[in-house]
Amino acid sequence: MKIPLIAIAVLLAVSPAAALDGVDILKKVDANLQPESFESYRKLINVEPNGAKREYLLWTLKKGDDKIASLFLAPASEKGRGTLRLGDNMWLYIPTVGKPIRITSLQSVVGGVFNNADIMQLDYHVEYDVRAVEEQGGEYFLDLKAKSTAVAYDQLKMWVDRKRLLPIRIECYAATGLLIKTLYFKEPKAFDDGRVRPSILETDSPLYKGYRSFMVYARIKKRVVPDEVFTLDFLPRLETMR
Amino acid sequence: MNVALGAAVTLLLWALLAPAAAAGAQSTNDIRLEDIEKEIARTVERPYSLGGFLELQPTLFGFDRDAAFHRLRFLDGDEGATAAQYDLKLRLEGSYRKGIFSLFGRADALTTQGDLDSESRINLLEGFASLKPTPGLAVDVGEKVVKWGKGYAWNPVAFVDRPKNPEDPELALEGFYVVAAQAIRSFGGPLKTVAFTAVGVPVDTDVNEELGEADHLNLAAKLYLLLFDTDLDAMLFTGGSRTTRFGFDFARNITPNFEVHGEWALITDFEQRPVDERGRPVLRVADVMSYLVGLRYLTERETTFIAEYYRNGTGFTGAQMEDFFRFVETSDATFRSTGNPTGIRRAITLAEGAYGRPNPLRSYLYLRASQKEPFDILYFTPALTSIVNVVDGSFVVIPELTYSPRTNLELRLRGAALVGEDRTEYGEKQTDYRLELRVRYYF
Repeated sequence: MKIPLIAIAVLLAVSPAAALDGVDILKKVDANLQPESFESYRKLINVEPNGAKREYLLWTLKKGDDKIASLFLAPASEKGRGTLRLGDNMWLYIPTVGKPIRITSLQSVVGGVFNNADIMQLDYHVEYDVRAVEEQGGEYFLDLKAKSTAVAYDQLKMWVDRKRLLPIRIECYAATGLLIKTLYFKEPKAFDDGRVRPSILETDSPLYKGYRSFMVYARIKKRVVPDEVFTLDFLPRLETMR
Repeated sequence: MNVALGAAVTLLLWALLAPAAAAGAQSTNDIRLEDIEKEIARTVERPYSLGGFLELQPTLFGFDRDAAFHRLRFLDGDEGATAAQYDLKLRLEGSYRKGIFSLFGRADALTTQGDLDSESRINLLEGFASLKPTPGLAVDVGEKVVKWGKGYAWNPVAFVDRPKNPEDPELALEGFYVVAAQAIRSFGGPLKTVAFTAVGVPVDTDVNEELGEADHLNLAAKLYLLLFDTDLDAMLFTGGSRTTRFGFDFARNITPNFEVHGEWALITDFEQRPVDERGRPVLRVADVMSYLVGLRYLTERETTFIAEYYRNGTGFTGAQMEDFFRFVETSDATFRSTGNPTGIRRAITLAEGAYGRPNPLRSYLYLRASQKEPFDILYFTPALTSIVNVVDGSFVVIPELTYSPRTNLELRLRGAALVGEDRTEYGEKQTDYRLELRVRYYF
């Protein structure tokens, strides 16, 4: 009687379904990419086909699964602009304009290939279900499907470094199957909490031929701030939290 | 004038001829983290910030010499079919922070030179001190724009703000002197945020006199909820300077690319003094409602549509406005035939008040379509805007091209064509068309 039980246990242990828990992998990827609550400084660089560049410096606060707020520090034309995301709700605050206005995930507050969903990215496991997972050499391949139509990309194909459990490349698709963009995670480095993470996120898109955008993480530091910081009325005061 | 023109030409040449950036393919090897670190350190270490922009705007006005407002404006003589104006503006914004205390200021230095007017002035738009003991509690004292309402072109619930210019609603406004306290609480569940704002608004002969009767301390309050992913606000204004008014607004995304919003305001005991065709005022006192419903829709091709309907309960009816125009016509005819200026002077006074404010009638439509970066031209946005007076069928059409050829430089070319029959709002404005170029450099 003991032999069949051991055999079943061994079979379960080596079967792909038991060995590969896609949700677990995705959660680990999220945890390795960024702490649950943190502040960061990022530089966005849009590069045009002729080599001309446009750079933006952002300071960002994130808390938990669904709260993220960003403030533009440079260039001068964008300075003071703030963005807030609470779950599926997104707002843009422009200091001279009235109250913060609701914006959508597919728009881009900076132009270029990155859109608002990329700039205010929540954890992947919050927005996506794992449809399939498989091993491909030294990588995991995850096929992800958006949990709701409010998510910017309907489907993601994610290749993950098996050893570090960090994404290498993500292809983002519309519901029609159209490839919207590809994200490349590069230049891993140790951040303030000692964790090694990609410091550069590069993207290109068949919809913007010849254009590329980079998101460079200069600092990521664990920080927990009160929930009230992530509110519409606080957005004009976000600078005071730096 | 020469200085302004010289500055304009210099800025334009620099904008158009200077290379946008060092050309060359960017790779991750070109990104120097230490340079970014230095830039961050500079922003973190400073407790103060100073910035703003320099703006030059030449404008060409094409006059409608038969229009009522043209007759009132140029009573003493015909200034010709067109006029040019050059505006040079320096905007300065600064802030300072120390612990829970902060200061903020925004001011314009503006000089206007042109065929009609020449003037220079300095405007303090905002200047206030803030205390923020916790993120959930803040007190502001000073001149401040309170910014209530969800509408893009109009805000009937903005009880303590100056009205926006609906033809250019993103222009910075001048604030009122207020004491404002705000408390915010966040929650889990469907009710995510509750925020309460109380505003004390004094009105004296020298302070906030535009808000109404002097020697009163008025109180305004707003309760904000983020409930079931919907922004909800309820407002109140009460005091001796203006009659009591109540407001409500909402905004919600129906889908990620489709937003709806609305505002409703009840103004109690609103006094209106429309004139008949002989210029005699009739006092009417009534509770009036103003409201606005609007939407913002983003297509897959990144065209943004904004549409708003505005019902202005404080506005004039079409018949009342026609009576005013008839009064201008008869007063003008009397002045020209007899030299008696009594009637036309009274018409000028009326035009400087309620009859001359932007959108003085009851019903309006605002429509705007803008296309982000067409033909793969980054930082270029063409747009077409129209404001339609639903009461009399007159309208303005505003085509616009905005382009940022390099970091911190923005060019905006804009036209406006005003279309309407006699005795209609846009038909009786002093201009038939307007053409303007705005060159703005941020620093």
